[in-house]
Amino acid sequence: MTREEYIAELKKQLRVLSESEVSDICGDFEEHFSIGLSQGKTEHEISAELGDPKTVADTYLSDNMEAASGYTATAQNNAAISGQINQGKATDGKAPVDLTGARLFVVLFNLLFMVWVAFSIYGTLIGFWAVTAGFIAAAIGMLAAIAFAPIIAAGLVVAALAMFCFALCSAVINFYLTKWTVIGTKTYIDWNKKIYNEGF
Amino acid sequence: MNVQFKKGVLDLCVLSMLKESDQYGYELANTLSELIQISDGTVYPILRKLAMDGMVTTYLQESQSGPPRKYYKLTGLGRKTLTALLEEWLMFSRSVNQIVGGDGK
Repeated sequence: MTREEYIAELKKQLRVLSESEVSDICGDFEEHFSIGLSQGKTEHEISAELGDPKTVADTYLSDNMEAASGYTATAQNNAAISGQINQGKATDGKAPVDLTGARLFVVLFNLLFMVWVAFSIYGTLIGFWAVTAGFIAAAIGMLAAIAFAPIIAAGLVVAALAMFCFALCSAVINFYLTKWTVIGTKTYIDWNKKIYNEGF
Repeated sequence: MNVQFKKGVLDLCVLSMLKESDQYGYELANTLSELIQISDGTVYPILRKLAMDGMVTTYLQESQSGPPRKYYKLTGLGRKTLTALLEEWLMFSRSVNQIVGGDGK
C-alpha cells in the first residue's frame, strides 16, 4: 500500500469522527511516513509496519466511544484539562447523523402504505375470529332448538357438537395467527423506531 | 506473542518510555514494535487516548530532516498514573509468575 492509499483508507474508516479529529489523526500518520521515508524506508515497508489501517481505525473508534459514554472515568475527569474531547459528539460516540430523510421515510411509508397493509391483516384476523364466534353461536342455537323440536334432539346435539369442534379448531388456528401478528407488529414497530432514531 | 497480553500493558510501556525524556511518535512506535512485536500503527491510538486522558501533552518541534515532529511529554497526572500502574503491574506479574511456576517468587 502506498502512503496515499494508506491515508485514504484510514480516512474512510474514520469518517464517523469529526473532521478535525480525522485530520489530526491522519497528521500523525503523515508524519510517521515522512520520517520513515527520510530514513530510507519505502512507502510499502512503512505501510506494512503500521499494520492494517482498518484495525488501527477500529482502535480509534472504540476509544472514542468509550470516552463519549464516560466509560473511562479518567477520560471524563480530564476532559477539561485536555480539552480535546469533541463537543459535537453524540452520546453514542458517533458524529451526529442527519435523520430527516430516515424520519420522512418512516412517516410517509406508514401513512401511505403500511396503513392499508395493517387494515387488511387486522381485518382478516377479525373476520377469522368472527367465524369462530359464528360456530359457537350456531352450536348454542342448535342446543336451544332442542326445546322446540325435541323429536330431533339427538340430531341437534350431534350437529351442535360438530359446531363446537369447528369453533375449537378455528380458535386454535386464530390464536396462533393472532400471536404471530402481534409479534410481527412489535418487530415492525421496533424496526421503525430504530430507523427513526438512528437512521438507516 | 498473544495480542491480549500486550493490550493491557501498552499504556504502561508508553508512559514508562516517556518518563526519562519526551519522544515523538515514530520513535516510540519503532522501539515498541521492535521489543514486543506490535504494529507501529497501534501506538498512535494509545498516544491519542493518553493525551485525551490528560496523561501526556504534545508540542511540535522542528527537526533537521523532514517536517516538524510531534513530541509527547508526561504530565503530572501521567507520572502519578505511571507510578500506580507500575506498582500494579509488578504485583500482578509476580503473582502470575508464581502461578505458572516462573522465577518471580
